Amino acid sequence: MINVFPAAERHSADLGWLRSFPSYSFGDYYDPNRTGFGVMRVCNDDYLAPGRGFGAHPHSDMEIVSIVLNGRIRHEDSLGNNVVSSFGEVQRMSAGSGVIHTEFNASDEEELRLLQLWFMPKERGTAPSYEASSFDVGKLHNVLLPVVSAQASERVAWIGQDLTIYLSRLGQGERIVHVTDPDRKLFLFAIEGSLRANGVSLGEGDTAQIERSGELELVAGPDAFLMLVDMPAQP
Amino acid sequence: MKQTFLVKHAVGGRAFLDSAKQNVAYTVDPFGDGWKFTAKVPWSDRVEELLAHRTELNVFVFKEFDDRPTLKTWYYVGEGPVEYDPDRSELTIVAASRIEYDPHQYSV
Repeated sequence: MINVFPAAERHSADLGWLRSFPSYSFGDYYDPNRTGFGVMRVCNDDYLAPGRGFGAHPHSDMEIVSIVLNGRIRHEDSLGNNVVSSFGEVQRMSAGSGVIHTEFNASDEEELRLLQLWFMPKERGTAPSYEASSFDVGKLHNVLLPVVSAQASERVAWIGQDLTIYLSRLGQGERIVHVTDPDRKLFLFAIEGSLRANGVSLGEGDTAQIERSGELELVAGPDAFLMLVDMPAQP
Repeated sequence: MKQTFLVKHAVGGRAFLDSAKQNVAYTVDPFGDGWKFTAKVPWSDRVEELLAHRTELNVFVFKEFDDRPTLKTWYYVGEGPVEYDPDRSELTIVAASRIEYDPHQYSV
């Protein structure tokens, strides 16, 4: 079963320094029917003005992933990390029993676009941790490239939940099949371009919630760039 | 010195309780290895929402000074407990740990 949520129907918020397009309830946007999907609680498509960002604030018991799509992000936290990441890099923070952090656009000239993803952790109350990793941008083409996973490796960030986040670039007509346990949930985001998922069309910016589908066939329109999350239904 | 007690939803920051905007009599005391908040608040939809999100709370105490930066203390609630006694109109929140921070201590 595939439920597509068109980009045009996503909530949007414009604070001047931040344009945000949350897929699920966040902040003052609250829709009791849109509070998450499986273990995913937040999927924000954020655009931050140069030099601007989120001041010091806490997090706890949440696995937080920031994927930079354009520009550069500076992350600083109470664990002592101070890291700048750009496209090709991913930041993962396991908030556990608590961490204070800031996130700012590290550029004074260029807009920052990033995906902010929050997931419920497999285990609560753990020691907080942070990791910045990089993936090989040249290997995105025509594969589902894992960038964050519970099965971490040198270029795949670890996460404290049984999930994997994939990125992929597909050319016109290229096809990928993803096989998973039908009890798991899949979240699909057409970041750029368009594609068909098991025959259902997604345009740029559209997202899809996929359930009870052990096999997912993705066929690209022109120059598709997508994110796929394979995750459990519950923590 | 002005002190504010604030309880927000950890997902996105909706405020459930803000002593700067509503009259809330509250105390915070050491409790075991953590702290216990006791607040006198009438039942409301916001209190109901707070309890519905009891495992996703950010609890703060802000101390604003005339001569130095605001000191923020964030409390980790974890498994709480977070409870409401309707007979006493009393909300109790048990926090396991806390972090004090000056928002200006970071470089950006």
